[in-house]
Amino acid sequence: MEDFLYFFTFQDPSITWVVLGIMLLGIGSAYVGTFSFLDKKALLGDAISHAVLPGICLGFVLAGEKDPRYIVTGAFLSGALATFLSSWLKQHTKLSEDSITASILSVFFGIGIVALTAIQKSGNPEVAGLNSFIFGNAIGIAEADLFLYGGLSMAILLVLSLFLKEFRLMVFDPGFGKAIGFPMKGIRFVFNVLLILAVVIGIQAIGVVLMAALLITPGAAARFWTDRLQPLLLLAAFFSILSGILGTYVSFVLPQMPTGPWVVVFLSLIALLSFIFSPKSGIIRRFLARRNYLRKTHKDHLMKALFKAKEAHKERLTLEEIHALYPFHKKEITHSLQELTTQGLVLQDSQGIRLSTQGNSDAMRIVRLHRLWELYLNESMNIAPDHVHESAEQMEHLLTPELEAQLEQRLNYPTLDPHQETIPRDTP
Amino acid sequence: MTFDSNAFLIIFTGALIAISCGFLGVFLLLRKMSMTGDAISHAVLPGIVIGFFVSGSQRSLEVILGAGLLGILSTLMIDALRKKAKVQLDASIGITFTLLFAIGIILINLFAYKVDLDQECVLYGEIAYLPIDLWITSSGLNLGPRITWLAGVNFFLILGFTYFLFKELSITSFDEQFSSAIGIPSKGINLALMSMVSYTTVSSFESVGAILVVALLVVPPSTAYLWTKSLIPLLRLTATLGILIAILGYYLAYWIDSSIAGMMVAVAGAFFFGSALIKGNWPLGLRGTSKSSPAFDS
Amino acid sequence: MITQVTNPILEVHDLTVSYDQQPVLWNVDLSLPAGQLIGTLGPNGAGKSTLIKSIMGLIPPTSGYIKIFNKALQEVRTRISYVPQRESVDWNFPASVLDVVVMGTYGKLGLFRRPGKKEVQIAQEALEQVGMTAFVTRQISELSGGQQQRVFIARALAQQADLYLMDEPFAGVDMATETAIFQLLQDMARTGKTVLVVHHDIHSAMNFFEWVIMLNLHLVASGPKDQVMTEELLRKTYGGKLNLLTQVTDLIRKQDFNPLKS
Repeated sequence: MEDFLYFFTFQDPSITWVVLGIMLLGIGSAYVGTFSFLDKKALLGDAISHAVLPGICLGFVLAGEKDPRYIVTGAFLSGALATFLSSWLKQHTKLSEDSITASILSVFFGIGIVALTAIQKSGNPEVAGLNSFIFGNAIGIAEADLFLYGGLSMAILLVLSLFLKEFRLMVFDPGFGKAIGFPMKGIRFVFNVLLILAVVIGIQAIGVVLMAALLITPGAAARFWTDRLQPLLLLAAFFSILSGILGTYVSFVLPQMPTGPWVVVFLSLIALLSFIFSPKSGIIRRFLARRNYLRKTHKDHLMKALFKAKEAHKERLTLEEIHALYPFHKKEITHSLQELTTQGLVLQDSQGIRLSTQGNSDAMRIVRLHRLWELYLNESMNIAPDHVHESAEQMEHLLTPELEAQLEQRLNYPTLDPHQETIPRDTP
Repeated sequence: MTFDSNAFLIIFTGALIAISCGFLGVFLLLRKMSMTGDAISHAVLPGIVIGFFVSGSQRSLEVILGAGLLGILSTLMIDALRKKAKVQLDASIGITFTLLFAIGIILINLFAYKVDLDQECVLYGEIAYLPIDLWITSSGLNLGPRITWLAGVNFFLILGFTYFLFKELSITSFDEQFSSAIGIPSKGINLALMSMVSYTTVSSFESVGAILVVALLVVPPSTAYLWTKSLIPLLRLTATLGILIAILGYYLAYWIDSSIAGMMVAVAGAFFFGSALIKGNWPLGLRGTSKSSPAFDS
Repeated sequence: MITQVTNPILEVHDLTVSYDQQPVLWNVDLSLPAGQLIGTLGPNGAGKSTLIKSIMGLIPPTSGYIKIFNKALQEVRTRISYVPQRESVDWNFPASVLDVVVMGTYGKLGLFRRPGKKEVQIAQEALEQVGMTAFVTRQISELSGGQQQRVFIARALAQQADLYLMDEPFAGVDMATETAIFQLLQDMARTGKTVLVVHHDIHSAMNFFEWVIMLNLHLVASGPKDQVMTEELLRKTYGGKLNLLTQVTDLIRKQDFNPLKS
């Protein structure tokens, strides 16, 4: 508990720097990555994070030390080359996109490893920091670096916000963009630059392999909540920040734990929770919706049973008779009857259960819908009378008043259904 | 150059691994699942760690089983993300492998007292140590490098897999709907393929590391695909490339004094890009005359 | 105008099929006779392809069932042949025409067994039937659309089945090839095979099919060609959207789950 307070009140400046760093990294990657995700090129970011390694080594060699300007430039050149080769291969060979991505990824990374081992052998004491590029070392972000990388992150965010509509065109309708005169190739180029920058910044904290998570998972998680671009981006950034803080907290409390993997775990957890709980496509919502639907259909069936009894001139049904109609459903029957009574659709007295006036009208509607639908299937779609019942059993709970009106019109206000039963209507 | 038995062993083992990966990689390529193969080679990490933890050794059956199970798990996870959560394929792959790899790293740290797994070793292995890592039986018999034996077993397993399931692999790669329609178990074949990929990754990571495994899975088949038009020549050319990569990789690394695995990747890359340049579709003015065109009658 | 058949080779019973939680076929009841060339017509999105895929077990039914040779699909798979739509495959796959046609024999071979001389011969005979013998060693990436279609049909022939289901085998094919293939299919029907074809052209349908099924989200008609291809029924099939049904379909799609699932 003490740890928790200490951490979250940011009393330790180094913690503050790390958290700030992770946040900036996270926002930039979440923004850029979400666009890649929407563009269905999510793994391009993964390829680039592997492909920048040779450039990073080159930058290191030229600078003689871990000078961020050289490193970033080198990484950038390497990433740009990889991106260029990817599109060249796509245009000029019959190779599929996934094999191009995987080939570029592994070849560049392999060459990077060759360079890295060569550098490590050279005995340059600065070398230790280079390893953090592969495995990531969030805690090791130096204050000075933070300004540069923070600045770059802000630059990324700025450009993305300024050119939001151009990037939106690039992802959703490049053909249209070209038609109305936007320089789509240039826009794509700028986007790739931003992607490479985000990757270069991000892999220092989280490492090459896990970088893809910073790009893809926030957007994927946010996607469960909204369809609109701006809320999507903001939510993705929020998830990224949240995971960054939580991940840093874990490695603060458990010092032997590296930060990066925990950030990924929290991101994935958020994605999982989004999938389960989001109203848009959540499992919980579907589960609840199904449960409510089943309850409604059960109540509807009870009312139908009462109505049909009335058609056979039985004003009431006793509880035993209802139980006999639906064996094995005692609990549901009790529950439904309770709800129906509360809703005023059904009245219970010593002699049995009967429909109220409102209940009668509602029940009549359900029966009417059932028979109308049966007639529709039979007349308009030539479906045999003995095959229309099941479909009608389902549709009677769903058909809206507008559809009901259209059915009536279509069938010309019929009196009988395919089984020669009357189609009941309220007398005017 | 005098015959250097160490060099031979290293090249031989490298070639075995290259051919094994190449054969699996051909089918990954044809099914457009190259990135899935890459993902699986990362995703097996937790399986390796758990296997190590359970058995106390990095060279145990438990490690291999753990990896195999994780290969299946990641395939199922990617599938579940796609079908149930309706996430697009590339994102499903990305989310799955990063999560599993992250869990693997966390487990390594958690079990550090018992699991002495060097992260760097997992990634790039060191095949140069192969000749001194010998398999000596309890009776003192020197059977040669342990890793060569592992690679050999792997090789024969994959050879058998490819040979016996050749028609199932090719038909499910070409036309999945038709295969399902005529009763070929497409899902089962897919899972089997992915298990083989996980198994190969884990039995090769000690020598060549996960990076080279991925490169060998993807790059030689892509290179060969540019040259051939039939499946069996594709497999043969991939195997040939594998052998060349092993030989050239070794000698170049020796010459420059660098990591053998790294040089093998570089050689593979050189073959790949070279082939793309030669075989690529140049604009009409620069094109050669060797490309055949579709017949015009129908 | 739905004619039912006693001892049908294919029986579809009260079949409803949904695609992406949208009902595409409503309560289809039909039975088909053996040994005839049968065409399935209907506008785009009418459910023709869905019907074939349901019969082949590629799409599970929302309700209802299908019986083939009076048995479930699993028991009679080796007696049924399937020609999927041409776009369902990447034609850059490294295979020759012969390779692809031999694949038709795989169903009967079983796991682990390799195709041998007998299978190659079956494939070559099939290629001869579609007039592609000259192309035996040609790479499939070098074929024209019509040739690709013929290769797919040859593969189906190599299955040596009793019932053939073909999904748009004439898409993108020129007139001469279409006539040639139709004649082949008629020969097959004459030898007692049953051929069910999803087709898009009314005119050629009138010339070649013996039995016609007409779909428009539901079964409009099924029976001998002359009785079914009347102006009235054609209008019912092609004459525009079923407004009410489309609205109902939309309603179902918007639910959180498919209420029609039994």
